[in-house]
Amino acid sequence: MNDELIASDAPLSDAQRDILAALADTLVPASDDGAMPSAKELDVAGYMARNASDFLPELGEILARFDDGFVSEPLDARCERMQAFSEAEPESFGRLLAEVYGCYYQDARVLEGIGVGAGPPFPRGNTVEPGDLSLLDPVLANPTNWRREVS
Amino acid sequence: MSSRDSDPVDVLIIGAGASGAAVAWSLAETRMRIVCMEQGDWTSPSEYPTNFPDWEQRLTERDHIDPNVRARPTDYPINNDESPISVVNFNGVGGGTILYAAHFPRLHPSDFRVKSLDGVADDWPVDYDALEPYFAENDRMMGVSGLAGDPSYPPKQPPLPPLPLGRVGETVARGFNELGWHWWPADSAIISRPYEGRDQCKNLGPCTSGCAQGAKSSTDITYWPVALRSGVELKTRCRVREITVNAEGMADGVWYYDEDGEEHHQRAEVVVLACNGVGTPRILLNSTSPQFPDGLANSSGLVGKNLMFHPVGFVQGLFEERLDSHMGPQGCCSLSNEFYETDPERDFVRGYMMQIVRGGVWPWSTAMLGAKSGTIPWGPGHHEAFARRFDHTANIGILCEDLPEEHNTVTLDPELVDSDGIPAPKITYTLSENSRAMLDHGVARAKEAMLAAGAVEVTGGGPARQAGWHLLGTARMGDDPETSVVNSWGRSHDVKNLFIVDGSIFVTSGGVNPTSTIQALALYIADTMKKNLANLFD
Repeated sequence: MNDELIASDAPLSDAQRDILAALADTLVPASDDGAMPSAKELDVAGYMARNASDFLPELGEILARFDDGFVSEPLDARCERMQAFSEAEPESFGRLLAEVYGCYYQDARVLEGIGVGAGPPFPRGNTVEPGDLSLLDPVLANPTNWRREVS
Repeated sequence: MSSRDSDPVDVLIIGAGASGAAVAWSLAETRMRIVCMEQGDWTSPSEYPTNFPDWEQRLTERDHIDPNVRARPTDYPINNDESPISVVNFNGVGGGTILYAAHFPRLHPSDFRVKSLDGVADDWPVDYDALEPYFAENDRMMGVSGLAGDPSYPPKQPPLPPLPLGRVGETVARGFNELGWHWWPADSAIISRPYEGRDQCKNLGPCTSGCAQGAKSSTDITYWPVALRSGVELKTRCRVREITVNAEGMADGVWYYDEDGEEHHQRAEVVVLACNGVGTPRILLNSTSPQFPDGLANSSGLVGKNLMFHPVGFVQGLFEERLDSHMGPQGCCSLSNEFYETDPERDFVRGYMMQIVRGGVWPWSTAMLGAKSGTIPWGPGHHEAFARRFDHTANIGILCEDLPEEHNTVTLDPELVDSDGIPAPKITYTLSENSRAMLDHGVARAKEAMLAAGAVEVTGGGPARQAGWHLLGTARMGDDPETSVVNSWGRSHDVKNLFIVDGSIFVTSGGVNPTSTIQALALYIADTMKKNLANLFD
């Protein structure tokens, strides 16, 4: 299998990938302190191909809408265009947002950054504090409140 | 193509969920030939969503709690168009216990006597004391964690220590203490310690998608393994269409479809329905014959009537401090029965439970809900807003007692059918003024509790739409055949070898999650059947 064939099998062209990365960066830019990455640093295109293949035709139409220098515009300008898109086509925008967030909030670096362990909940699990049962003292000091007058 | 099975069984149980499993296990000791038919499959813990990176997305599609969204071949469609609350369920071995939160309170003694105490609805023909041994037996079989000493109940001793309160539980508890209100660690059908060969809960977070750890006590891993070893036969992918009757008006078997859609008849000496408050009336209403033109066991006209949900509201509090909200059994933390009993000073009769909920606020869902509500923007500012909310929330569910009303019904939809052509159930339900007032009261009190606990922002309301977990009352029990469908031990008044053991037979709903009581009732009915085997049909 040569490189050309790999490229032709890819659901998105390089140019489309660039636009998608710019869209992802617009929706989730890096945090000011750099602790949280931009969504463009993740393999959003690969995620779409693996997890949202039914969305790819619609995604192609969205990308075509932004195929006019969007990638080189500053963040403020991209946000304005994204806002206009969200108002003009709320369903398409909603799906794009859901998929970009889906990719972002499955990433190990992101999950660790927000204080959640990387990977799915199982088998990792979590440690939860047992809690202070002496908080029940006021409850126990009150009279029993189940209704006894059952005829 | 259809076939008749010439080999009759002694007992045919329809449905392998909470009640079907319990009754199968209990009856197994009789050494009768017992067969259970289940329209769904066995589920595999390795296929539950929490095994996969995209687990949150799976909850919105293939593992959704709503069968109309999930739309698996094992599901049947439900017409909810005429109800503000839609039915959620699961079809498979374990039934609804696969997806339930496993919050496991019992009905209270007063719940069985609402007519005597408050002059509404009807009293049950059984009471708390009669069911108490079966509650305890069920707690032991399922594996229930909790803390003895709750002053809002008669004495009881859960077999396992309570699940952790965590920061959510502690924080909300301080609010309840500030107000002088009752609260208590929840009884939970989730094991807090290794139990009966199962390992303990490891606080994955989401419980309502199936427990990959096996710590949540769904009946596929509690009752069923024991029942199968005792000789009960369980046949999956068998969807019962109707119960058939003989010339004497006794049930003599069922017509069902196998996985390939082939139609078969299975003969049986006794038929036990365990299909929940929607599935059971659906089968009964579809079982018409010259002797029973209005459906089987329906001389009272009450099959499918008096449908009760528990109307549910939710209140969320946002806190400055981190609460680790994404960790731990989502629905099982603590509860309050402060407003459970009738108070003449209020504008409603009966009451509600407040259920402290810690989950449902995972990363992707937090971002999506934040986008929808406008609290977490996309673009610049996303991370700061996300960090203020994620793991900083606690929730209180308000679970209201729903009183029976005949106009709330399950009927057969005239057009909608399942994949085998069986008419789908249609839900017709109106939220009563009493339930509305109760819900409003509960939402206001829960907001009060959140603020007392230190919340800096409080939101909420109800009723939640996709919250029809509890399906009750559509084949009610009672002593009078004119006003009930089954007697005090689940036997049909009309058909002496037909029993119902699921939530259909509830006379009133109580204001708590019903699975514990459903299973206690099933064990009670099975025990009564065993005691009356010699004259079961008299």
